[in-house]
Amino acid sequence: MAEDREILREVWDGRVPVCIQLASEDHNTLSAPDPYYLMVPRLSYFPLLMDKVRKHFLRFISPDLHEEEMWLESDGMPLKWHYPVGVLFDLHCGGSSLPWALTAHFSHFPEHDLIRCPSREVVESHFMSSVKEADGLKHRGQIITNMQSKDHKQLWMGLCNDKFDQFWAINCKLMECLPEEGFKFIPFRIHFPCQPSLQRLIKPQTDDGRKVTLEELLQEFLPRGEGDRVVIQGIEVPRDTPLQWMSEHLSHPDNFLHICHIPTQG
Amino acid sequence: MEEEKSSPPSDLTSESSLEHTDHDSNKATPLKKIDVLLKATGDAPIMRKKKWAVEGDKRVGWVADFIRKYLKLNSSDNLFLYVNQSFAPAPDQLVRNLYQCFGSDGKLVLHYCRTQAWG
Repeated sequence: MAEDREILREVWDGRVPVCIQLASEDHNTLSAPDPYYLMVPRLSYFPLLMDKVRKHFLRFISPDLHEEEMWLESDGMPLKWHYPVGVLFDLHCGGSSLPWALTAHFSHFPEHDLIRCPSREVVESHFMSSVKEADGLKHRGQIITNMQSKDHKQLWMGLCNDKFDQFWAINCKLMECLPEEGFKFIPFRIHFPCQPSLQRLIKPQTDDGRKVTLEELLQEFLPRGEGDRVVIQGIEVPRDTPLQWMSEHLSHPDNFLHICHIPTQG
Repeated sequence: MEEEKSSPPSDLTSESSLEHTDHDSNKATPLKKIDVLLKATGDAPIMRKKKWAVEGDKRVGWVADFIRKYLKLNSSDNLFLYVNQSFAPAPDQLVRNLYQCFGSDGKLVLHYCRTQAWG
């Protein structure tokens, strides 16, 4: 439906403004280098966007750090590159002050908190793994395994190059289902600012054919979260929205619905 | 420094010791451990003991490190873990999350291999 395609487009076009500063301990110049400003797509991953930033800062750091992996921090929290940008933004910034202030580090890699990301290929295989996992939940993996590897490549390149049509030409197959049945399970993860994510099974419909809503998901898996904010793609979705609709329209390109649970302060 | 060690880390318990700990349920193990079945794929060495009880809040990366130690591989050696013989979970994914979504017959099956098996 045309209306639905507009929603997919809006979600795809989501951007967040970021301002990246070099960690003071990492620059070997007297004054701090200029920060780097950029608009980053919510649906992308930081390692795909940081080539220019890295190059910008290399001039200001000592040569023995030049080969080190650059990692990002937001207000003391190391950012997990394998989460989509928008998820990290909703968890750690939420738009309280814009642009989102990040610090780039070239030393003291937090081995306990972050996975290493030596190349773009690592991001690609993480992404494809998530797509396969999601299809395992939605269709017992039948759609993704029946696709050709050029289709897999097209999904990935569509995301990398910010090509909506290229990506959705393939992704729409992963969203197929019988309207009266929906997916087998809804691929979702609930993220928290400071603890591991939660992933469980939930069906989009009850046995008597009623659509399961966001409210029911939250009641089942976050029973004590009353009053807390629940943010998906930067918005607080009405709690009576059916999960099946959300999965088709608000999932990230990895085909997971990423739900951010933000506790109320104090 | 770990080379000398042939026994598994203490927080993994074998089936027999799990039965044993079941008796004193008041001990500081509030959550039931999860049975994880480790299966070799490709040219990966087979583990003599395949079924392990793992705390649900352990990460996948921790399980991979455990297999490396058990098989006496270097920490830099490649080791890939797969669920459903299809996807590789992120190293910081919790064993409990995978068990809840992909466990069957009361256990979680993980395939491990030293080269990428299922792209």
